[in-house]
Amino acid sequence: MIELDTLTYLFMALAGVVSLIATYLAVLENDLIRAVIFSALQSTVYAILFYLLMAPDIALVYIPVAVGLYPAVVLFLIKKTERSEGDLGGAGGGSE
Amino acid sequence: MSELNTFLFNILLFSLFFNVGISLYGIFARPSLIKKIIALTIFSDTANVLAIAVGYRGWPSPSQPPIPPVITTTEPSIDDLTWFARQAVDPLPQALVLTAIVIGLAVTLFLVFLTLQVYRLYGTTDVRRVARLRG
Repeated sequence: MIELDTLTYLFMALAGVVSLIATYLAVLENDLIRAVIFSALQSTVYAILFYLLMAPDIALVYIPVAVGLYPAVVLFLIKKTERSEGDLGGAGGGSE
Repeated sequence: MSELNTFLFNILLFSLFFNVGISLYGIFARPSLIKKIIALTIFSDTANVLAIAVGYRGWPSPSQPPIPPVITTTEPSIDDLTWFARQAVDPLPQALVLTAIVIGLAVTLFLVFLTLQVYRLYGTTDVRRVARLRG
């Protein structure tokens, strides 16, 4: 029979692994809109983590800010500028 | 059961430290300014989660699961306060993190509109192209 403590720590470890994968995909993704979506997934997992770490007030502040407002503002910025990260590769060499 | 709890909590801490590393790579090495903003938000959020995890009372092998730092009785007696001080997590990192989230929101909005202005002036958000234009 699994105990409540172990279940809590199990969910914490699961949230940590999911946030690690989401951060990796968000940083290495070339399409910026998909990177923002992965970043929102990572923020959702962090909100669950705040709740599990006994900080429900932080979770209440964090959900609208980091899951709602950050992706909305960054999506607005991407819509106004350019969508792809534009991997220049060798073009950025020593052509000064 | 205590070793299993320690193992699972260490998985959480190690993945947070790896998140710090990955987001620092994103801030320093990726060329796009928008990607730098995304990595910066991930970095500040990870720092906040680490601060909350430091204040968490139930580091592995607790006797009972900790409670949020909220007193639920209106007129607590000495026994209530003693039990509360033994059980509740540390409220100081939570207050600091609340401030940090709000300040991070303001800083991110400032950086977003700075990036928008850079795009309007130079026509790109790639720092390599911007550096070549300035040079």
